[in-house]
Amino acid sequence: MSAESANAIQRNQVDLSDFIDWSGVECLNQSATHSLANALKQGYREDDGLLLESDADEQLLIYIPFTQVVKLYALVVKGPEEEGPKTVKLFSNREHMGFSNVNDFPPSDTAILSEDNLKGMPIVLKYVKFQNVRSLTIFIEDNQSGSDITKVQKIALHGTTVETTDMKGLKKVEDH
Amino acid sequence: MVLEATMICIDNSEWMRNGDYSPNRFQAQADAVNLICGAKTQSNPENTVGVLTMAGKGVRVLVTPTSDLGKILACMHGLEIGGEMNLAAGIQVAQLALKHRQNKKQQQRIIVFAGSPIKHDKKLLEMIGRKLKKNSVALDIVNFGDEDEGKPEKLEALLAAVNNNDTSHIVHVPPGPNALSDVLISTPIFTGDGEGGSGFAAAAAAAAAGGVSGFDLGVDPNLDPELALALRVSMEEERARQEAAAKKAAEEAAKQDKGGEQQPSSQDATMTEGASGSASEADNKKDDIMDDENALLQQALAMSMDDTTSGHDMRDTDMSEATADDPDLALALQLSVQDSDKDSSGQTDMSKLLADQSFVSSIIASLPGVDPNDPSVKDLLASMQNQSQKKDEDKGPNEEEKQ
Repeated sequence: MSAESANAIQRNQVDLSDFIDWSGVECLNQSATHSLANALKQGYREDDGLLLESDADEQLLIYIPFTQVVKLYALVVKGPEEEGPKTVKLFSNREHMGFSNVNDFPPSDTAILSEDNLKGMPIVLKYVKFQNVRSLTIFIEDNQSGSDITKVQKIALHGTTVETTDMKGLKKVEDH
Repeated sequence: MVLEATMICIDNSEWMRNGDYSPNRFQAQADAVNLICGAKTQSNPENTVGVLTMAGKGVRVLVTPTSDLGKILACMHGLEIGGEMNLAAGIQVAQLALKHRQNKKQQQRIIVFAGSPIKHDKKLLEMIGRKLKKNSVALDIVNFGDEDEGKPEKLEALLAAVNNNDTSHIVHVPPGPNALSDVLISTPIFTGDGEGGSGFAAAAAAAAAGGVSGFDLGVDPNLDPELALALRVSMEEERARQEAAAKKAAEEAAKQDKGGEQQPSSQDATMTEGASGSASEADNKKDDIMDDENALLQQALAMSMDDTTSGHDMRDTDMSEATADDPDLALALQLSVQDSDKDSSGQTDMSKLLADQSFVSSIIASLPGVDPNDPSVKDLLASMQNQSQKKDEDKGPNEEEKQ
């Protein structure tokens, strides 16, 4: 995976934060004072002092719907060395999961985060599994040190939108 | 306008037959449930409420979350009392029911009525509490009835485990004459968080508050309005008297600080009149004038005031106090002040008239036995008009020609 990570963000992959349906974003077990916006919203997530923190225990369940169908290519998760997330499971198009049924479905992809990943190196996903993503569920199962609180500084999603590429193609045909 | 899905867990165990809450625990609980259902569905049209029972043959969901108030109220009828309450199972079933709510944008809330002893140990409840918190479910607890076996502590521990950002609440309702629903009406369980709840909730709370406060004096104002009024008036008079006494003491202290150089400031007339006199004289005059002005007020006050009104200062402060309490007195005082204003303006009018040479001389001419051309009269007129000497001399010859 690390070999792929070196040339991760290329081939006109864009940041997908513009295509997130913010009204539907949900995060279970987030601390009230350190919410998901700190890690996911542009501007906030660039500030390492603003964190997403877990509340009752170390697990976090983040549900991100998109405004249009996307292809997901890579994921960036930044966090502190100790309390940064370790095991991250991704589910595509699983609406409204809870912690109780998180083990009922096979994850689309599972990543074990390394120190380099926590510093901002993108994790390249199984591209074929994320070709038709309407919503993404990120389940952070545990953290590096096994402590009770998981902290996340930044979550970024990279990929392409399906509709946008089609639209561009159509316009070019009309021009000729 | 919180968008919420609520599950209400009813305690229908054998303990609910107890009559320490009127008419009995179960009926009181049913009333409270009806009230909460009404408030929740009114505060947001998309809110849903569900009901389940925790005792009997096991936890039973009577209604899954719905916005149909009729459905919710109907399910409360014909409920059977029996068995023991299983709080842990009840809460978990409620959570499951909430998880499968149709509108996922709704916040989740569980309201638990706990009126019977709790047999679970604290650890289990805390574990359940953390699970609720993790799934962002809020929990409201109504603790009533039996207090044995550390029940309040257990419930507090459960709440502490759930509470996230103060969205969960607990209310302990001791047995008493107040209905369970009346007590709940003023709690955050009923009014919701922060924004004051729905109009329905606010109105109901206000009505309840008004009904309770009337009984302050131990008399129901609806039963005997005259007695209640008399009591209230006497209370207010006593309060005014006490405040006046305190004010007098404060004023005297202030006077001693200032010494005798206190200047009258309320009336222009007293200013001009008292300017030549000493400061103390000015004070006295001011008081006298105040007496004249407020003769009506004095009369009105005399009825309610006792011997303490002998001092001028005392009277003044009393009046200001009284005006604060009594709108009629305030009006009377205002009127008398206006009268005095008119008087002072009348004085200025008079001096203007005297300044008018032709008017004065015509008056003098009309007086019998007075010669307007008499030099002494002329001198007098001249001295009166210190401002328009020239005008006076111009007019003098004119009048001589006329005569």
